[in-house]
Amino acid sequence: MFPAFRQSLRGLASNPVRTVLTTLGIVIGISTVILVLSAGAGFRSLVTSQVNALGSNTLFVSTRVPPTTKSRAQKFSAGVGGGVTGIVINTFKTRDLDDIRRLPNVVDAYGMVTGQAEASEGNHQKSVIYYGAGAERFRIDQHTLQEGRFYTPAEDAGAAQVIILGSDLAKDLFGQNEPVGRLVRLGTLNFQVIGVYAPQGGLAFGGTADSSAYIPLATAQKKMLGIDYLSVGIVQMRDTSLGDATAAEIRSTLERNHRITDPAKDDFEVQTQTQALDTFNVIFSGITALLIAIAAISLLVGGVGIMNIMYVVVTERTAEIGLKKAVGATRGAILREFLLEAVLLTVLGGSLGIAWGALLGWIVAAVARANQLAWTFAVPPSAILLGVGVSAAIGIVFGVLPARNAARLDPVEALRYE
Amino acid sequence: MLIRVENLRKDYVNGDVVTPVLHGVSFTVEPGEFLAVMGPSGSGKSTLMHILGFLDRPTAGAYFFEGRDTRTFTDAELARLRNERVGFVFQAFNLLPRTTVLDNVRLPLLYGTKRNQDALARRALEAVGLTHRLGHLSNQLSGGEKQRVAIARALVGDPAVIFADEPTGNLDSKSGNVVMDILQTLNDQGRTIILVTHETDTANHAKRIIRLKDGLVVSDVVVKKRTRAGDRGELGK
Ligand SMILES: Nc1ncnc2c1ncn2[C@@H]1O[C@H](COP(=O)(O)OP(=O)(O)OP(=O)(O)O)[C@@H](O)[C@H]1O
Ligand SMILES: [Mg+2]
Repeated sequence: MFPAFRQSLRGLASNPVRTVLTTLGIVIGISTVILVLSAGAGFRSLVTSQVNALGSNTLFVSTRVPPTTKSRAQKFSAGVGGGVTGIVINTFKTRDLDDIRRLPNVVDAYGMVTGQAEASEGNHQKSVIYYGAGAERFRIDQHTLQEGRFYTPAEDAGAAQVIILGSDLAKDLFGQNEPVGRLVRLGTLNFQVIGVYAPQGGLAFGGTADSSAYIPLATAQKKMLGIDYLSVGIVQMRDTSLGDATAAEIRSTLERNHRITDPAKDDFEVQTQTQALDTFNVIFSGITALLIAIAAISLLVGGVGIMNIMYVVVTERTAEIGLKKAVGATRGAILREFLLEAVLLTVLGGSLGIAWGALLGWIVAAVARANQLAWTFAVPPSAILLGVGVSAAIGIVFGVLPARNAARLDPVEALRYE
Repeated sequence: MLIRVENLRKDYVNGDVVTPVLHGVSFTVEPGEFLAVMGPSGSGKSTLMHILGFLDRPTAGAYFFEGRDTRTFTDAELARLRNERVGFVFQAFNLLPRTTVLDNVRLPLLYGTKRNQDALARRALEAVGLTHRLGHLSNQLSGGEKQRVAIARALVGDPAVIFADEPTGNLDSKSGNVVMDILQTLNDQGRTIILVTHETDTANHAKRIIRLKDGLVVSDVVVKKRTRAGDRGELGK
């Protein structure tokens, strides 16, 4: 094997520029695979940690447009945050949440609405996503404040104009100044800042949680949005293992309240954390599969490129092959040399691809972290093994035909070749 | 008896076109001989050498090498004979480009089973007086030096016979003389040499001359006044 290895290296080194260019398809294909697997691992860890921070003992109730009928939905313009036109489900009420709270396995629950408005302080202005959340949130949610306090049930019930800022938003509006106790304008109303969240580093709808704001549910419903319904409810369970049964109880409670007899016409959805993760995983696997398909095409093109160049190499070295046969190289020996050369070529491309893909993955992680996301950079060892294995396999598959051509050359003909 | 061919025939077949080249060649070669094969261009000298050197098979007739009938040999067995029992020297040198002299000489050993490849290659280079060029790349050598490297490569596997197909064809007379001197020295040491040439001067370095014409042996004579390349005092190292 060793002499064949030396002969192959000599072949590759004889035209380094061509060698590198030839491997480009492999480099792109393998780097895509590595990037997908690396970024995938980072993204999964981010989502998992976020879901865990929300508490694994919670259930989500969210509204949805029933797939079979739209009778209970009404056309609604100037919807959540204004400017959104579409069908809005307005049947999920605080009363539903009260009934859910009375279910045996339920410890607590809170409702939430969301909107978008201009926040301003002095001459600092920013468009923010705000959440109107019931005061029960602070008994369920695990995120902590870096200063100030949460709002009280009394403030919530009384639609008090108090606000808790995400850490980034606080910096954007107040810079180095102390925000707690100061006033900010949200939309057309003034709010007193009572607290600032510690950095959370997670994704939220329309931005990161750290750039959002939290106000009492009643304030958001009555004073900001002019609605009386909820968009989501978060339910805390006593016994997590009863998640599916509790979800079923919530479903029948809501169906009773909303007078729905056919579960297919439900205008709401109940999801456990695992289900939420499953949904995410399905979407994520789809994206991964698509990218892997692109990588596969690139690898196929790369493989054909390798085959092409190996045919050229065999032709270029016809006289050399003739000589090697004349000094005693068997067909098998020639076949091995050229196959090894093809594999070295693809593994070289694969290695460059791994390095390049890892670099891209690292950049993605760096950008994510610069945006306060708790994103970890990792290239799974299995991804490296896969990259090397796949590129070597491509070398064998696409190298075997040219190598066989070389091995079959008639030595006399080959020696005569100029 | 080293080589015995009987009624050897070779036809080249390209599609429907059959080109008969050797029409029934018979002769024998004993160990230690220095045989020159002469003949006009196209008479089949190279074709004969390729068959004798196991690079090609005859269309008909028998070829016994070291007493064994080569007709039954498989491709792998022929490759092994090429590797261990014969050496080739070509008109065009056929060295590996961008490769050192030492690695060129070692090449046949890569396909064999011998140990101490480095030492064997050095010894072969000593025999052609090129130990001072070990690390040179093949394209940095003069034509004469290239052919001496090629002879070392033919010699490295300690073959029973060296086939040289017009080894001086691409060389000036001085370098050609050096090459002939080396071949004569190897023959003096007992190595069998079979040489193809169409120059009578060169052929006279051999001990015996076979003439081919139109694929047949037309004469087979012993050289009476043999030329010694070393006598001219031109042996340069
Ligand atoms: N593959 C082939 N197909 C058809 N004809 C061939 C083939 N190889 C050689 N020949 C023919 O066989 C004849 C003998 O060729 P060969 O090379 O043996 O001649 P030669 O005696 O070595 O000539 P030279 O002195 O020019 O080297 C030539 O007429 C040549 O054209
Ligand atoms: Mg010839």
